[in-house]
Amino acid sequence: MATAVRAGMRGTALVRALQELLGAKKVLGTPEELLIYEYDGAVDTATPDAVALPESTADVSALARFCYEHAVPIVPRGAGTGLSGGAIPVEGGVVVSFARMARILEIDVPNLRAVVQPGVINLHLSTATAPHGLYFVPDPSSQKACTLGGNVAENSGGPHTLAYGVTTNHVTGLELVLSDGTVVRLGGKAVESEGYDLVGTFVGSEGTLGIVTEITVKLTPLPEDKRTLIAAFPTMDEASETVSSIIAAGIVPSAIEMMDQLATQAVEASVSAGYPLDAGGILLVEIDGARDGLDDVREKIEAICRAHDASTIRVAATALERERLWAGRKGAFAAMGRLSPDYYVQDGVIPRTRLPEILRLVKESGERHGVRIANVFHAGDGNIHPLIMFDLRNGPDELERAKETSIEILTACVEAGGSLTGEHGVGMEKNCYMPLQFAPADLAAMRRVKDAFDPAGLANPGKVFPTPGRCREFSLAARR
Amino acid sequence: MRATQDRVAPADAGECAAILAQAGAEGRMVGIGGGLTKHYLGDAASLDIELRTTSIAGIVDHVPADLTVTVAAGTRFADLRAALARAGQFLPIDTPHADDATIGGVIAANANGFWRARYGGVRDLLIGTRVALTDGTVIRSGGRVVKNVAGYDLNKLFVGSFGTLGVIVEATFKVLPIPAAEAGLIARFGTASDAFNAAAIIARAPARAEAVVVERQPDGWGLVVSARGDDKTVARAVADARHAAGSSAESAAVGDRLALARELPARAVEGALVRVALPLASQTAFAEAAARRDTFRELVADASSAVHRVHLIGEDDAVAEDAGALVANARAAGGTGRIERRSARLSERLRTWPDAPLGETLMRRLKTQFDPAGILEPGRSPG
Repeated sequence: MATAVRAGMRGTALVRALQELLGAKKVLGTPEELLIYEYDGAVDTATPDAVALPESTADVSALARFCYEHAVPIVPRGAGTGLSGGAIPVEGGVVVSFARMARILEIDVPNLRAVVQPGVINLHLSTATAPHGLYFVPDPSSQKACTLGGNVAENSGGPHTLAYGVTTNHVTGLELVLSDGTVVRLGGKAVESEGYDLVGTFVGSEGTLGIVTEITVKLTPLPEDKRTLIAAFPTMDEASETVSSIIAAGIVPSAIEMMDQLATQAVEASVSAGYPLDAGGILLVEIDGARDGLDDVREKIEAICRAHDASTIRVAATALERERLWAGRKGAFAAMGRLSPDYYVQDGVIPRTRLPEILRLVKESGERHGVRIANVFHAGDGNIHPLIMFDLRNGPDELERAKETSIEILTACVEAGGSLTGEHGVGMEKNCYMPLQFAPADLAAMRRVKDAFDPAGLANPGKVFPTPGRCREFSLAARR
Repeated sequence: MRATQDRVAPADAGECAAILAQAGAEGRMVGIGGGLTKHYLGDAASLDIELRTTSIAGIVDHVPADLTVTVAAGTRFADLRAALARAGQFLPIDTPHADDATIGGVIAANANGFWRARYGGVRDLLIGTRVALTDGTVIRSGGRVVKNVAGYDLNKLFVGSFGTLGVIVEATFKVLPIPAAEAGLIARFGTASDAFNAAAIIARAPARAEAVVVERQPDGWGLVVSARGDDKTVARAVADARHAAGSSAESAAVGDRLALARELPARAVEGALVRVALPLASQTAFAEAAARRDTFRELVADASSAVHRVHLIGEDDAVAEDAGALVANARAAGGTGRIERRSARLSERLRTWPDAPLGETLMRRLKTQFDPAGILEPGRSPG
């Protein structure tokens, strides 16, 4: 199979049929309308044949049923902030936007749960539950824009997942529409359900097992208090050794973020968060919980930082100062535009004790390929985010070198016992790389899950699994 | 209930997978056991092969500074606990049958204790698995890192699957340093609602308790709280718990009492043991109704996760009726339940899962995908 396009209804015929099925105002189909659905937060693009804007589970079910009968790929899309091409209709078909299924259905305080539609924006949920002293823990950097449906699809993380877990640890119930239109309810408000953990199996499946139409999430009491500090180190080595020492001392901060000098400079120019510009590496550490023990823990962390030659340690004295320190971290990716017109955000994971060596490898790999790399990442989780910069105006060669650097870094992560992706997903960005991490039998087992949920293969095709057409080039390169 | 012809104990993952492949080809039914502590789970089924994982044992890799441990599935939980303790660490699962259970069994049965709300359950702490499948392959899912979204999270699929999809041969967990301080508190209440209301306040308090357990007692309802952490946090947790629990609260060493409560499944040999998971706010109503049943003997509730176990004893007809009613109560409250254990006499009339679980069709399809010949643990598939 050289190309990925399968037979089935496409183009204006599909648009007209869907308009008839759902009503004209729920379907977009002109070239101008489709244009804005051809990209997400990653680098690849593809134009859908149609965009559907369902308003109910019944709409999604009818749509899926139609697509099943007419062999049309179906690709769910939240806010399009994803960083692995998860919302790109690489084989054409219908993109399903959840812009009109964006209601918080229930905030159930006694049960510590919320029931939401997939289009609800991550931060909006925590804002709505804050008056009850509760919040939704996963906080991806894109939380002002990204949707909970997208979070479920990608099993999103964020800086504060170190102590409290990622999306999968906070979802207890789902309503799904399978690719044949069947509506399935899984789990609920209890901590578990009988039988296989289908909720856990589904979260992080990137739209390839079906479409989420309703989500039940855990709400967590807001921490009583927090301590947030930044520490500046002469080099990244010292910063990463500090991370290992904090973890090894038995301290589990709610977040440990790291930033190198290049990233710091970009952030300071963009949001002036007050990060020291002369440091080789900066740590942003936050602890939270009951007020009583917090200052003891903070002092221990400060002592560890000083033992690793921290030049500056600054503790946020007010909520405003804390927000400013975090604004720098959360705005870091956006600030990279000041350094380079284009960049790849990588997302490898390594056991956290291997941080110093992997960061050295990242640096050497960048130098060897002649690309600049900035680092802003979740050090406490061992989840690195090298931002590999390139400029497409200088021709395709720079992009190629950025890609080669990426593969080198990810290969090293896997060889260190880690993973290709910690939170951004595989999508169509890394599906060709999956054989780096997984043996054929491992991928075959995942395929069994796919076949159980989506035997027709219409749910977000071309993602997660290596595709013979697009991945041939990579497998040739890997064999060389 | 589980009479078998052949007993095998493969020495490694590869041998285990080969046995499964051969059994699949011959259509021979395979039961899987580790410590055999939870032999009572599931419905009666005749088995041709009993596969023990006990020879696939030992710590594979423990990196204290990474707070992760990789362990062969046949390792006894107690042995893992001892090995981790030597490095000042622990796996924060207070599993029932902790002395003899194996790691693989704890995962396959999703055998959580009272600490789930504080540290996460098996599904939250497990970050990697190797599993032998009936096609003769040994697959790897997850890894040794705490964050990982590459491909499907098959770890979750195997947690609580009772060996019906494959044989877990190795697991990697997140572990934690053993806390410096611990303390406990007990209290008594006249009504279930007072007990569960106090428990709810304690479970949500900022210095998070490790266990918040409610028990039915002859003269009312008991509350048992334990906390571990640094000195100040533990002191705060106990002070908050005392405030919430009111005048009857007193400090106590609660280790033995929690262990006794946790081991209810081991003690519930007669009659039936019903296990339910509820929405948090449904606990009082469920527990009150349970205590009113004629055959009621004992109730132990992990009040912070709303997982209750109810032991029923009496005439078979009455026990069967009450057990069915309690599972139905849980379902009606938006929760879920099963007959976790019952006497041999009752096993004919009381099925483990009285109703089909949500998502049953998908579960059947997954079972067919992973075990097309249907040879794995025939009595332990829900639905």
